[in-house]
Amino acid sequence: MKQSFRNTLHSFAEDFRLDWQLYLLLAPMVIWFVLFLYKPMYGLLIAFKDFSIFRGIERSPWVGFAHFEVLFQNDMFIRAFWNTIAISGLGLIFAFPIPIILALMFNEVQNAVAKRWAQTIVYLPHFISVVIVAGIVINFLSPSTGVVNLLLTSLGFEPIYFLTRPEWFRPVFIGSSVWKEAGFESIVYLAAIAGVSPTLYESARVDGASRWQMMWRITLPCILPTIIIMLIIRIGNLVEVGFEYIILLYRPPTYETADVVSTFIYRTGLQGTQYDLATAAGLFNAVIAFALVYSANRISRRLSSTSLW
Amino acid sequence: MSALHKGASVLALIAAMITASPGLAQETTKIVDDPLELTIHFHFRDKYVYSEKWPVEQKAAELTNIHVRNVASLATTSSRDAFNLLIASGDLPDIVGGDASGGLKEDFIRYGLEGAFIPLDDLIEEHAPHLKAFFDSHPDIRRAISGPDGKLYFIPYVPDGKFSRGWFIRQDWLDKLGLKQPETPEEVHEVLKAFRDKDPNGNGVKDEVPYFAREEVDAIRLINLWDARVSGSERYGDFAVYDGQLRHPWAEENYKTGISHVAQWYKEGLIDKEIFTRGARAREYLLGNNLGGMTHDWFASTSTYNDALTGKIDGFALRPMLPPKTVSGQRFEDARRLQVQPAGWAITATNEHPVETIKYFDFWFSEQGRILSNFGVEGLTYEMVDGKPHFTKEVLGNKDPVNAQLWAVGAQVPRGFWMTYEYERQWTNKIALEGIDLYEECNCLKDEFLGVSLNADEKAVFDRYWPSILTYMTEMQQTWVLGAQDVDTGWDAYKKRLGELGYDKVIAVMQSAYERQYEAAR
Repeated sequence: MKQSFRNTLHSFAEDFRLDWQLYLLLAPMVIWFVLFLYKPMYGLLIAFKDFSIFRGIERSPWVGFAHFEVLFQNDMFIRAFWNTIAISGLGLIFAFPIPIILALMFNEVQNAVAKRWAQTIVYLPHFISVVIVAGIVINFLSPSTGVVNLLLTSLGFEPIYFLTRPEWFRPVFIGSSVWKEAGFESIVYLAAIAGVSPTLYESARVDGASRWQMMWRITLPCILPTIIIMLIIRIGNLVEVGFEYIILLYRPPTYETADVVSTFIYRTGLQGTQYDLATAAGLFNAVIAFALVYSANRISRRLSSTSLW
Repeated sequence: MSALHKGASVLALIAAMITASPGLAQETTKIVDDPLELTIHFHFRDKYVYSEKWPVEQKAAELTNIHVRNVASLATTSSRDAFNLLIASGDLPDIVGGDASGGLKEDFIRYGLEGAFIPLDDLIEEHAPHLKAFFDSHPDIRRAISGPDGKLYFIPYVPDGKFSRGWFIRQDWLDKLGLKQPETPEEVHEVLKAFRDKDPNGNGVKDEVPYFAREEVDAIRLINLWDARVSGSERYGDFAVYDGQLRHPWAEENYKTGISHVAQWYKEGLIDKEIFTRGARAREYLLGNNLGGMTHDWFASTSTYNDALTGKIDGFALRPMLPPKTVSGQRFEDARRLQVQPAGWAITATNEHPVETIKYFDFWFSEQGRILSNFGVEGLTYEMVDGKPHFTKEVLGNKDPVNAQLWAVGAQVPRGFWMTYEYERQWTNKIALEGIDLYEECNCLKDEFLGVSLNADEKAVFDRYWPSILTYMTEMQQTWVLGAQDVDTGWDAYKKRLGELGYDKVIAVMQSAYERQYEAAR
């Protein structure tokens, strides 16, 4: 055992002597990871302490799992947790396929000018700040002056006060997120489609395949690995819902369906300055996320032999 | 040290030139013989820091020989962040002060107990006659800002004046429709219905918004008509004192009655449909477009719309009115000005000159210090007329608000000082002053709940249960008003749920803290 360790060390030193330039190139990234992703993990200790910013992490007393107990007995946290899963889950079902469909559709557009125009138009919302998007959504859905409600009233319906209706929150949230991000997310798939070898299409054309068949039999299977990777990443983010956008859109009457873990952390941790409890909630979130990614990766490796690692 | 001497003498010279009035040759206010420099962290209103360049600070330095040098960075747009970062760094200056979102009172006490700030009681007793006199004559304020150990950890910013918000109504609309100012809940109902139906703005469209509000706390203010309270203090959703018992207004039986009527009125279109979402621009938009009929808001700023909109809207007259009588026939105003702000300044444990510092704090509560902190520098912002400070014509006639001009010279900033209402009266709109006189005569303010300091055990209970309860109560409040659930059918479940969420436990710790803090002395 000791022998083999020494051997490894020795060969590494040899390696380093030969290829030190490569290691030098690697160094900035490693340092970045250590400084900004590994060092902050030390702060997770806050979740197990009665934390005071004046005493600091070192001098704050240990409390074990007390904050986790408080958390799991807190109905609001449990509700926020399930809301997070629900919003992400619905997003996965409804929002995930849209960029793929978009990319396939772009691929079928023959006119280069039209294609470029269409792509630019669907990318654009991605570059609008989320604050502005929320402002647009609020104005569009306003019960007295919003376009949507003016349309509804002119068709003879009662205006709906969308932003105060719990049942409307998720459709509004997911719908506007799709509008904002779908175009940009389709870039990845477009790149994957561009990588499909043209010879496959040529031979299919010789065999008399229709465009529908080519898309279904060639394009989709070829970009499947990309789709799977994106899916795994998405599953890893299942417990992460961007809190800025929710905070901008939710109101007390919609908390029931809109309050997610990150907004819960924001309210208790930053507004209520219970940093320890908020850290515990964040840590719990991270553990769940890790478990999800790990299992998604396992399943994918078994079923399709595509995996992140 | 010599550089400081030089700087100080230059400052003194400038200050002397600004205020070259021989009448002010006072008895010595010098605290130290040689100039003493104290460092301060003072970040406030999310965008200002203490400045040596303020004429007020220069005058104070000249009078006391204590020079206060700011160490807070301007490079943040959050006073809360600036304060937290300072505490977390552990590198504390001599004085920490200012304000921050959520207030600094609990921070001063909490970190005081942990050893960041020193208790001030003995220092005040021995070295600060003006502060001592102030606290002796205001025992409730002293109790309100004491820690759970009964000690003072900071000197607060003490506002003056009793009234903050009141009821306002479009008097010209009332006159046009031949109505009187409403005196009872039924009359309020009639007036609001008339505003809705009889087209008082005369544009032929039914677009009037009978009752509207700019801030959350006023959105459900109409529950007052059924004796229910919105909050026990100017802070939103605060506890209230009912005959010595601390409870939350939103768990009271009269709240059920009040909120169900408000929900009914909302449904009838008497309350702004977007009452919870319109936000800060509600007042400007609804008054400016001749749509809003009645509201509950701050006296001073709401009255100014009478000037701003004359000429734009024919006959515009938004007048303050007394609170209508409630169903039980009494008259009360729910809102009042905070008697003490959760802002001010404290002495850190690393300060080597605590005695000089408390004397400096004391200076601001002296006659001279009060005028300086309220009105600015003589000759620059005010003149003495008949022995009383009056703002100069330039200040009153300037297009910037007077308070903004005063901040720029270092007056009316949230240091530990005692405001005088006279400062505000001199530039408050005549209509607002009439309203305030009306309310003064009515004498119908409720007692303010001044807040409690929880000890560690109480705080643990409070932190564990209260945030969820408050979230739940707010959620149900809006759900009911917006009509998604009926109050009568939902109330029992609501009360039961509050019990499950730990309402009684929170009330118990609040009550024990309240008795420790206020009752013992009585």
